[in-house]
Parts: sequence; C-alpha cells; structure tokens
Amino acid sequence: MRAIDYALRQAWASFWRSGTATAFAVLAIALAAVVLGTLLLVTWNVDRVMEQWTDATEFSIFLRDDATSEQRGAVETAIDQSGVSDRREYVSKTQALTRFRSQFADLASLTNDFDDNPFPASLEVRVRPDAARAGRADTLVRTLAAMPGVADVRYDREWLTRMSTGLDAIRGAGFALALLMGLAAAVTVAAVVRLGLHARTDEIEIMKLVGSPVSFIRGPFVAEGLLQGGLGAVIAIGLLWAGFAVVRAWWGGDLSAILDGAAIQFLPVRLVGLLVAGAMSVGAAGGFAASRHAA
Amino acid sequence: MIETHHLSKLYSRGLYALHDLSLTVEKGEFVFLTGPSGAGKSTLLRLLLVQDRPTEGELFVNGHDLTSLSRGDVQEYRRGIGFIFQDFKLIPTRTVFENVAFVLEVLGVPAGQQRRRAFQVLKWVGLQHRINAFPRDLSGGEQQRIAIARALVNDPALVLADEPTGNLDPDLSLEIMNLLREVNAGGTTVVVATHDRELIRLVGRRTITLDSGRVVEVT
Repeated sequence: MRAIDYALRQAWASFWRSGTATAFAVLAIALAAVVLGTLLLVTWNVDRVMEQWTDATEFSIFLRDDATSEQRGAVETAIDQSGVSDRREYVSKTQALTRFRSQFADLASLTNDFDDNPFPASLEVRVRPDAARAGRADTLVRTLAAMPGVADVRYDREWLTRMSTGLDAIRGAGFALALLMGLAAAVTVAAVVRLGLHARTDEIEIMKLVGSPVSFIRGPFVAEGLLQGGLGAVIAIGLLWAGFAVVRAWWGGDLSAILDGAAIQFLPVRLVGLLVAGAMSVGAAGGFAASRHAA
Repeated sequence: MIETHHLSKLYSRGLYALHDLSLTVEKGEFVFLTGPSGAGKSTLLRLLLVQDRPTEGELFVNGHDLTSLSRGDVQEYRRGIGFIFQDFKLIPTRTVFENVAFVLEVLGVPAGQQRRRAFQVLKWVGLQHRINAFPRDLSGGEQQRIAIARALVNDPALVLADEPTGNLDPDLSLEIMNLLREVNAGGTTVVVATHDRELIRLVGRRTITLDSGRVVEVT
C-alpha cells in the first residue's frame, strides 16, 4: 500500500516536472483513444440500429398463381410449426394490387391498363428476434422456397448480413489502426518516462544502494505512464463528446432519417470505462517498459 | 562481521583489482582500508555493497554469502548497510530533511516515524537548523554530514565509507572522522577506505593496507 502511495506521489510530481515531454505522451495516447473511441462510437450506434432492424425482420413467401389451397395450407403449417414466426398475414393478389396503388399513387394509373393482375399472392411473416439471431429463420426460408406452390421467398435479413459483414471489416481495420496507434503511444510514453528516469539517475542509484524494494524503484514510472494514459483518455473522451455534439446538432435529423427514426447516442458508460482502462493500460505498459532500465 | 577467503576480482582486460584477498573484520570494529590509487580499496567496497560480484573466492557479511545473493536478497541485505561516498551522492532536488527521510520512505517506514528518526539523526550531526536547505546551499563538510545522517538513519549494522574526506580540508576531515568514531562507539562496524595517512594516524585504528589487490600490511 505504501509502495502504491509512494509511486503515485512521485509520478504526480514527475508528471508536472517534465511538462512538454509529458504533453507529447498524453497527446499520443489521446489521439489513439480518439481513433478507437470514434470507431467504437460509430460501430456501437450501427450495431444498435442493426439490432433493432434484426428484431423487426420479415420475410415474404410469394405463391404461384396456380398454387392450390392445400399447398398454401402446407406452407402455413410449416411456418406455424417452426416456431420462427411472431405473426403471419396472407396477402391476396387483389390486396397486393390495392396496396401497390395506395403506396405508389403516382404509378397507380399504369395498373389500369393491366389485362390481368400481375401481383402474386403472398404470406408475410414477422420473424421472432431470437429466431432471426439464431439463424433458424434462414433454415425455414430455405425449406419454404423448396415447397410446392411457392414461387419465391424474399428475406430482408440478407442485406443486414451483408451490412454486418461490411461493418466487421470496418471494425477490424479500425481496431488494427487503433492498435498501431496504441503501440506508438506506448513507445512515446516509454520515451518520456525514460527522460524522467535519466533526470533521476542519482536518486535511483541511491534507492538501490539503500536497499529500496524494486516496487518502490519501478512503481513511480509505471504510475507515471498510468497517469499519462488516464489524462489522455479524459482528453479523448472530451474531444469525442464535442465531435458527437457537433454531428448531432448539424446532421442529427438526417442521420435519424437514415437510421429509420433511431437517434444516435454517445458511448455508454461501460465503453467509456473500457476506453479509459485501455488508455491507462497503454500508458502503464510504456512506463513499465521504461522502468526496466531503472531496476 | 566481514570475512573474505581468497577473494579475487578480475577485470576483462586481465587485470586483477583484488587478488587472493583473505581478511576478517570483527563486529563493532573500526577499520581503515588504505593504499595507493588502484590498490583495490574501492573495488572491495563495491563488492561489499554488491555493486559488483567477485570472480573467485568467498565473501561473507553478517552471515550473508554475497557471492550468491539474488536481486531481491541484495536489496534486503543493503537495508542493513550504510554507505558514504566522497561525492556525497545527495539528491540535489530534495531538501536536507528529504534526503535523509527519503531512505526511510523507500523502506516503507510510516511517515511519523520517518520525521522523528530523520530529525533525530540530523540533530546528531548538528544540522537540525538546515533541514529546509538544499544540498547546493551547504558546504562540503555539511553535505558530508548529511550523507552520514542518511547512512545512519536506518540504524545499519555496517557503515562503508569510500574516501569520505576526499573533498574536505583537514579540519573538516577530522570532524567527519570524529562523527564516524561516535557511530562506531555505538556498536556499528565501520570500514573507511582512504589514502589519507595523516588522518589514519590521528584516528589511530586498525589499518589494512592494500597494493595491487593484495593485503600488504595490517597494523
């Protein structure tokens, strides 16, 4: 406990003693944390919206015009027995035409020239969120597509899957960039801490000669890195919040429209905590690496 | 207290700093190590402080085999040793009081006890009125008295001094030696490396003379 108290007091003093060099280290950590924080902010919001969309997925089974009522009944039974459906609705050819005319009023006049109603009858199925996530709906869709009387099945989760894959790629590249910047920040912290270490060579030599425990010798340098990481994270979170506020003020409405009415949100406390812990770990790692030269 | 058996320290150029050295220093003794420059005085003190390791032979201090101490054991061993150097080795950014109390702080002594003990030893060396001064504000003699206070603050069983009067005039040198004699009178073993023959004569204690890493005379 006394070693921690000593390390923190010494680190605090050193933190202010080497002002410019410390500012560089803090800036490096803040930059890395901003990159990681931006990535988290974007992916967390997109994940959240995608989850909402996943919870509201539907699929439509288009029936052939010559499908018999027995074939339709078999399809409905398969849906009901699968446990995937929240609710289902039969849309007849006439209802489909009426819906088209009301939803696309500008094009409604075109349908007057039709000799025959081209819209197929369909079954619209609202998928249970747990079934969508577990992939059971995909299995059902494949089964239904192969059933007699079924012309086609459209499942709007496919584009969600494609989007999710794209998001994973962005996330991977972003994390790689953040990791690289984190490493650079750790190296900067190590260099700054080593500067402080050189300034305290006499002190360290005396500490060794009087038999000071290694934790007392190395602890202040690790704590200094930890403090630099913490301050870097606080600055990064401040910058992220400011950036978020600007984006929300200027483009909040547009983004909400794109996101189907969902408002963008700032990072939750859990992720902010992770960001701070990550930045402090990077700082401490830099301090620890530098402190090897002390003991 | 100190025992060496056939102790040697060979440097990479093939030169012996110490060669086949066997000597004993009893507990509570005050001993001078003397000899010309390069005789091996400082090397022996470095070995006693485990700043360096012997090439051959045995070295025991207070029951510790210094040839086989681990890094953690070295730090524990050093807690029982006080050291004084010619260049004082004070921390320039810390006050007189902090320079002394610092030893206790890094050894994990509670703050109240640190203050009491540091003030006590500073009073003993006669510098209690300079506790807020920085080393740069002190004379050489005063700085060495601070170094002595620091060496004694954790009540060591052995004090090692390497040319402690090398930077001081004769009067101040005697003053420092008198302090070390007082330390010794309290039961602490004191080993002083010096080439100052006049000082040795004035203090009048057992003297081990080294030359080219060997003991050439014990008086």
